[in-house]
Amino acid sequence: MGLLVTLAIVTLQIVLLFCVVMLIVLALVWLERKVLGRIHQRMGPMRVGPHGTLQSLADGIKLLLKEDLAPRGAERLAFLLAPLLVFAPSFLVFVAIPFTRDIVVRNLDLGLVYFVAVSSLSTVGMVLAGWSSSNKYALIGAARTAAQLISYEIPLVLVVLSVAMLGGTLDLRGLVESQGQAGPYVLWQPLGALIFMMAALAEVFRPPFDIPVAESEVLGGPMIEYSGMRWGLFFMAEYGNAFAFSALFVLLFLGGWQGPLLPPFLWFLLKTSAMILVFFWMRAAMPRLRIDQLMGFAWEVLLPFAFLNLFLTGVVQLYGWPLWSLGLLSVTGLLALGYVVERGRVTWRRSPSLAS
Amino acid sequence: MLIKREFETVEMPINVGPQHPSTHGVLRLVMTLDGEQIVKVDPVIGYLHRAVEKLSENLRYQNIPHLFDRLDYVSAFNNEWPLAMAQERLLGLEVPPRGEYLRVILCELNRIASHFLFFGAFGHDAGTATSWMYGFRERERIQRLFEMVSGYRMMHDFIVPGGVREDVPEEFVPALRALLPVLWQGLGDCNNLLTENEVLVTRTRDIGVITGEEAINYGLSGPSLRASGVREDLRLTEPYSVYPDLDFDIVLGQHGDSYDRYWVRMQEVAQSLRIVEQALDRLPGGLVCTPGLPKYPKLLKLPVGETYARAENPRGEFGVYLISTGGDRPYRLKIRAPSFCNLMALPYLMEGHYLADAIMILGSLDVVMGEVDR
Amino acid sequence: MATFPFAGVLKSLWVTLRTAVRKPVTVQYPTVRVPYAPRMRGFPALIWDDAVGEHFCTGCQVCARYCPTNAIFVTMKNNPLNQAGQSPRRKIVNQFYLDYGRCIQCKICVDVCNFDAIEMSHETEFSEWDKRALVFDVRDLLHMEEHANPRTKQVVTRR
Repeated sequence: MGLLVTLAIVTLQIVLLFCVVMLIVLALVWLERKVLGRIHQRMGPMRVGPHGTLQSLADGIKLLLKEDLAPRGAERLAFLLAPLLVFAPSFLVFVAIPFTRDIVVRNLDLGLVYFVAVSSLSTVGMVLAGWSSSNKYALIGAARTAAQLISYEIPLVLVVLSVAMLGGTLDLRGLVESQGQAGPYVLWQPLGALIFMMAALAEVFRPPFDIPVAESEVLGGPMIEYSGMRWGLFFMAEYGNAFAFSALFVLLFLGGWQGPLLPPFLWFLLKTSAMILVFFWMRAAMPRLRIDQLMGFAWEVLLPFAFLNLFLTGVVQLYGWPLWSLGLLSVTGLLALGYVVERGRVTWRRSPSLAS
Repeated sequence: MLIKREFETVEMPINVGPQHPSTHGVLRLVMTLDGEQIVKVDPVIGYLHRAVEKLSENLRYQNIPHLFDRLDYVSAFNNEWPLAMAQERLLGLEVPPRGEYLRVILCELNRIASHFLFFGAFGHDAGTATSWMYGFRERERIQRLFEMVSGYRMMHDFIVPGGVREDVPEEFVPALRALLPVLWQGLGDCNNLLTENEVLVTRTRDIGVITGEEAINYGLSGPSLRASGVREDLRLTEPYSVYPDLDFDIVLGQHGDSYDRYWVRMQEVAQSLRIVEQALDRLPGGLVCTPGLPKYPKLLKLPVGETYARAENPRGEFGVYLISTGGDRPYRLKIRAPSFCNLMALPYLMEGHYLADAIMILGSLDVVMGEVDR
Repeated sequence: MATFPFAGVLKSLWVTLRTAVRKPVTVQYPTVRVPYAPRMRGFPALIWDDAVGEHFCTGCQVCARYCPTNAIFVTMKNNPLNQAGQSPRRKIVNQFYLDYGRCIQCKICVDVCNFDAIEMSHETEFSEWDKRALVFDVRDLLHMEEHANPRTKQVVTRR
C-alpha cells in the first residue's frame, strides 16, 4: 500500500514538473519572439491572443496535427528514439533545480554533478538523430554537434568545479546559501562567470554557437528530417535547456533566490529572466562562429582560462586570502582573456586553401 | 613527437540545392566535400531562366523595360538605364539635364537600396536575423519614395530613351531631403551592427581571397572587383551622364576577401548618399524627356545599327548590346549581366574552404539569380 | 578599427539595445494601412461619364493592342445614345474583359487610351479561389468599389 502511494506521489510530481516545464517553454518561445521583434524594431506576434501570447500554444497544436514523416532510408528505431533522447535530459535536469529553498523536486547532494552529467546526455540523441535520418546535411550537423558539445563540456565543468570549491558543497541549495554569506559569486569570479556564460551558450546551441543547427547552412542540422511534434521535442529541449542553464547561472553566480524585499520565488524568476534576456540579446547581435573557430575558441581560449580560474580559486582557498583578492585576480584573468582573443583574432583560423 | 595517422576518408557529394535559405535565389551548387572541406564545386544555373532576350525580340521597344525591370529585380532602375542609353545612342538623342539628374538620383537611390538588401542577406547568412531587418527597414523607406515617383516599389518602368517618363511629383524632393538623414543614421546602425563585429571579421577575413589580376581574368566587376584593389568604376573610368560633375570617391579594398567585398559595399552606400545629396542640390528645372519622341500608341522605331551601352549597376557592369534592323522591335538584345560573370569565379573562390565559408563567399559576391539566368 | 578587445561585439550589442527601445516600424496590416502615394498603381478600372450617362470607353481596342500580356479583350458596338442624339460617341464599348491574373499593372493601357476611359485604381486586394474568377468584365471594372476593401475606397470611377 505504501508503495502504491509513493508511486502515485512520484507520478504526480513528474506530471506536475512536466507541466511546469511546458509552461516555461511556451513562455520562453513567446518571449523570444517578442524580444527579438523589438530588437528588430518590429512587433513580433500580435494576432493570436492579446499581443500574441497564445501564439506558442497555437504553434504547439499545429505541430501535433502535422503529418508524421520519416525519410525512406532512415533507421526506423533510432529515428523515433532520438527526439526523446534529446528531450529527456533537458527535462530531467529540472528535478535538481531549486527554485527557492523549499520549491525543489528533489534536492540532491550531488545536484551539480547530476545537472552537468544529465544535460550532456543530449549529445547522444543529437548524433543519433543526425545519423539515422538519411540526410547528408543532418550528418554534418550531427558531427558538428558532437564536437561542439564535447569541446565545451570541459570548460563548463572546470568553472562549475571552482564554484563548488568556493561554496564547499556540490549541493545546489547549499551553494546558494553559501552565497548568502559571501555575496554572489559573480563578484568574486567574474572570469568564471564569463566562461560559464559562453560554455552555456554553446551547450544550448544558441548563437553565436549555433552552427550545428544553423538554418542558413545545414538547414537545421540533425533536426532536418523531423516534422510535427518530433521536431517540437527538439525545439522544447532547446528552450528547456536554455532555461535550465540560465537557472544554473543564477544559482551558481547570482545568488539564486536571495534578495531584499521581494519574495524569493520572484527574485529567482527575475534573475533567470534577466539571464534569458541576455541569451536572446546575444542571439540578435552576434553572427555565428564557424565550427573550427568555435572549437579553437573552446580548446585554446576557454580551457586554459578555466584552468586558470580553478588554479586561482585553489590558491586563494589554500592560503586563506580574502575573497576580494580572488575577485581582483579574476578580473586580471578577464583582461588577459580579452587580450588573448584580440591578439588571436589577427592570426586566427584561416581556412585552409587548396591553392596554397 | 607527432603521431601521424592516415585516416581513410570518403569524399561526400552534397547538393546545396536550388531550395536553400542561403543561395540568394535558385542556384544549385553540386559540392564534393571531404569532411567539412570543399574539394570541388559546380554551380548549376538556369532555374530562373525566363527567356528575356528572346522575348525582347518580339516586343516593341516601349514594352521591353517591363522585362528588364525583372532581371536584377533588386535594383530595377539600374537595369532600365543601359537599355535607354543603347536606344538613345542609336537614335542620337540628347537627354535634357533634368532628366539626367533625375536618372542619377533614382539609380543611386536604388544602389543604396540594393546594398541594404545585400547587408541584410549577408548578415543573415552569417547568423544574425537582425541585419536582415535593419537592411530592409531602410530599403522600405526608399521604396516608399519610389512608389511616390513611379507608382511601383520595385518594377518601375520609368527610365525611357530620352529621359524619364514623367516628372517627379512636387512632394518628392522635400521627402527625399527629409529621408537622407534617416538613411545616414540607418547606415550608421548597420555599420555598428556588423562592420566591426569581431565574429563577423573572423568569419570573413581571408575567406575567398581573389587578387586583382585574377579578378580581372575571371571577369568580375563592380564592388567585388574593387574589393581586390582594382580601380575600376564605370562612373569614373568611363563616365556617362552627369557623373563627371559630381564629386565622390571610388572605394577600394585591399585584401580581396569576403570582408572587403562587404566593406566596399557599405562604404559605397555612403558615397551614393553623397551623390544623391549633390544631385538634389543641383537639380535643374526644365524638361525631363527629349521632346518629340513618339509616345504610345505611336511606335518607336530605331534606325539600323548596333551598339553596346553599359552602366555601373550595384553588382557590376550591366551591358546591353542592341542590334537593330530598323523597325519597332530589336533584332537582337544581348544582356551582359554582372552577376553571371561574377558567379564564374565561384569555383575558384570556394575550393579548399569549409562549407560554412562557402555560404559567406556566395553572400559576399551578391548575386541575384534573376540576372544570372535572365 | 577595434580599439579595445571585443569593441565590435559591444557595438553590436549596443545598437541592438538602442533599437529595442524605439517605436516599431510595423504597420499592422490589414487593420491599419499605410496611405498609398497618388501614383500608386493598382489594377485598372473603367470610368463612367456622369454627364452623358455612359462609359468613356468606346471600345477602340488600343489598350488591348499594346497590353504586354494580352490581358484585355474589347469589342465595340454602335452607340444607341449617339443615335438618339445624346452622346458624341458614335461607338461604345460592348464587351470588356480584363484578366487580373495577367495584368502586370504597367499602366500602358492608361497611357495609350485616347479617351481617358481607363484609370489605375488603388485596389490590389483581389483573391479568388478560381483563376477564372479573376477575369473582370465591364460591370465589375466599373463598380470596383464592390470589390474594394470598405476601408480604402480610393477608386475613381465617376467623373
